[in-house]
Amino acid sequence: MLLSLPALHLQTSEHHPLFQLPHGRLGPWCSPTGSPAPLSCETGCGEGTWILVCRLLVPTQVSLLSMEEDIDTRKINNSFLRDHSYATEADIISTVEFNHTGELLATGDKGGRVVIFQREQESKNQVHRRGEYNVYSTFQSHEPEFDYLKSLEIEEKINKIRWLPQQNAAYFLLSTNDKTVKLWKVSERDKRPEGYNLKDEEGRLRDPATITTLRVPVLRPMDLMVEATPRRVFANAHTYHINSISVNSDYETYMSADDLRINLWNFEITNQSFNIVDIKPANMEELTEVITAAEFHPHHCNTFVYSSSKGTIRLCDMRASALCDRHTKFFEEPEDPSNRSFFSEIISSISDVKFSHSGRCIMTRDYLTVKVWDLNMENRPVETYQVHDYLRSKLCSLYENDCIFDKFECVWNGSDSVIMTGSYNNFFRMFDRNTKRDVTLEASRENSKPRAILKPRKVCVGGKRRKDEISVDSLDFSKKILHTAWHPSENIIAVAATNNLYIFQDKVN
Amino acid sequence: MEFKLEAHRIVSISLGKIYNSRVQRGGIKLHKNLLVSLVLRSARQVYLSDPCPGLYLAGHPGAPAPPQQPEESAAGPPAGWGEPPPPAGRAAWPEPEPQPERPAVPEVLRAGDSEPAATVTAAGDTLQGGEAEAPEAAWRRVEGPRETAVGGAGGPAEVSGVFPEGPEAARGPCGCPPGDEDKLSAAPRVDGCRASRPAAAEPPASPPVCARKRGAGWVGGGPADCPAPGSTPLKKPRRNSEEQPGGAAAAAEEEEEEEEMETGNVANLISIFGSSFSGLLRKSPGGGREEAEGEESGPEAAEPGQICCDKPVLRDINPWSTAIVAF
Repeated sequence: MLLSLPALHLQTSEHHPLFQLPHGRLGPWCSPTGSPAPLSCETGCGEGTWILVCRLLVPTQVSLLSMEEDIDTRKINNSFLRDHSYATEADIISTVEFNHTGELLATGDKGGRVVIFQREQESKNQVHRRGEYNVYSTFQSHEPEFDYLKSLEIEEKINKIRWLPQQNAAYFLLSTNDKTVKLWKVSERDKRPEGYNLKDEEGRLRDPATITTLRVPVLRPMDLMVEATPRRVFANAHTYHINSISVNSDYETYMSADDLRINLWNFEITNQSFNIVDIKPANMEELTEVITAAEFHPHHCNTFVYSSSKGTIRLCDMRASALCDRHTKFFEEPEDPSNRSFFSEIISSISDVKFSHSGRCIMTRDYLTVKVWDLNMENRPVETYQVHDYLRSKLCSLYENDCIFDKFECVWNGSDSVIMTGSYNNFFRMFDRNTKRDVTLEASRENSKPRAILKPRKVCVGGKRRKDEISVDSLDFSKKILHTAWHPSENIIAVAATNNLYIFQDKVN
Repeated sequence: MEFKLEAHRIVSISLGKIYNSRVQRGGIKLHKNLLVSLVLRSARQVYLSDPCPGLYLAGHPGAPAPPQQPEESAAGPPAGWGEPPPPAGRAAWPEPEPQPERPAVPEVLRAGDSEPAATVTAAGDTLQGGEAEAPEAAWRRVEGPRETAVGGAGGPAEVSGVFPEGPEAARGPCGCPPGDEDKLSAAPRVDGCRASRPAAAEPPASPPVCARKRGAGWVGGGPADCPAPGSTPLKKPRRNSEEQPGGAAAAAEEEEEEEEMETGNVANLISIFGSSFSGLLRKSPGGGREEAEGEESGPEAAEPGQICCDKPVLRDINPWSTAIVAF
């Protein structure tokens, strides 16, 4: 149920810890010593290099489902799978997110499953194992649903996962599919009570007549068990497909955004949400743009931004009014008329927007570029980085094979000095904002040996192709890196390539 | 020329995407379809603005000669066509066709009357197979069933019979927009109404009739008068645009059409989205169409139409009707 209420003033509680970044600890990404190392494509390994920590492949869930579920669900899944060329479509990773300390890494996939990886603890015996992530917990977050009223199938694909900051021993995360947001509690259990009077060890009730003595139950250690329980289900608030969720810095509210509306929720209340943005026109015929991403400011609990399919970003202040249809700031770059084509509108649609950790900048990703905007300058971005401009001449083909609709994400590193985004052929790109250097790396099986060093790649745009270069025409557009994540404080990155999760870290001597 | 080809190709691809989105898991993605509709609009604008009459995009052989006649026939009506309807009225098909438009239609028909019977029967024969139909023949076929529909007359014989005197006799408001449909071209009801009546009349032939008719109409529109006849239906669902001339003659009208297209394009598709997709995603085309008809037709409750076009055929036919039919 959606309500519009007078302006809601959110207080930041004093006891909420403010997430502090260790500023100044990180140098440019490319070098552990702090001085910029030359990024040379020819020589390959510079002084600063990325190495593969581990490649994680979650087991296909086809076999799991067919064992447990009933006929109907199996039919849905089987028919779905039949329509696609590979049986593991359900394993395609659809979102990746580190938690606030970087200890946990959550992935969501198209099959509605969430897999959480935990970082290997540092130990003297196995120094090199530090930095590896192992499976910590797996659970089915969302199931396929059918909306009978609208005759619509609701995909179980996890669109986004967002962690809540840790406030006790348990971990909390939000996961969402197209229609429903769920709050999951992931907790460990390493003790169990033993010695009940009325129950025996298997849990069967004992006949009271047979009890002759009384004892006090004690907690005994057991094998560590990680259990995930859904604590809240926030449903029925979105008519259109949810594309973003964002936890507010007050840690009491969060927002969920679909194509036309943004709702504000309180974690404790699941049957109501406030609608704070509504861009649905009275006459749907006049629809010209949709919301594509939204995020709260990292420090100011009243501020959020949302991006649109027209390439614009709006910053809103919830203190101004209950319904933030009127933006406080409007970020738009005038279009370059020389680049006009049939597909100009599509490639200008923003697929992701992220605040910098400092909260002073926002980064947006459209099809061909990444842009960094200063919140104080609305008329143009302060930095623009070309991700794969060689695709500009191929837009028609990319339109035909639907690649032009791919929604790439972008991430900041912990110090906001480097930004990273994905591309095709399992390439992903990093841009150093300070040195203006960039590098293209590949997440591929060939480099899958542990500790293998990533060699910078280069795409040849024409003319003579050098030995190590790849020509644009031999790029594999089915291998795309849409989702990446950067550890909040260290140079560790998680890259999702279809159903593989690659974890790389900056090589430390 | 290349732009036109490119634009046409893009339009076909876009419509295919819109149609496919219907059957995709998870329902219609508003964002993607909005972008596709924007591309459609751009492509259409290019297609319209590219001054290149006589380009026969369908690639039918023997095209050169025919394009002349439809052009002439089309030249008549345009002047008579009324202004684009106010946007508010767009969603509801006008019941009776506005009078000014009537006289124009007869002109077309008269021009086509020269060989109505032959055409229609030929149409009947060649419907199932003939790919290489002259655009004008198709043109007339377009008119034929419409007259049938308008007149409400049933029976194959009447198609030809009605045809010659069709314009005058069948013009009376029939309380149902079939009269408009021809111009509409884009409405699902076009299929529906057309299909329902001719279907009653000649069940076996009607679906193909519709398909061929529309396909040919599109084709005929293309080559004959460049963008206008084939593409104007795209813009204005209930416009009598099919008869519009291409290029210069209708420049002014095109402007208005373009404007309409601005919203008309998105309008048709988005109005469907606006209904929260209820019923539109039903797999059964008949059901889907019915819903779409209900959406757009408003008052007149035509019998649910049979889908007369198969998916593959839809791709070749009038893109807008495809689009609407898809929903």
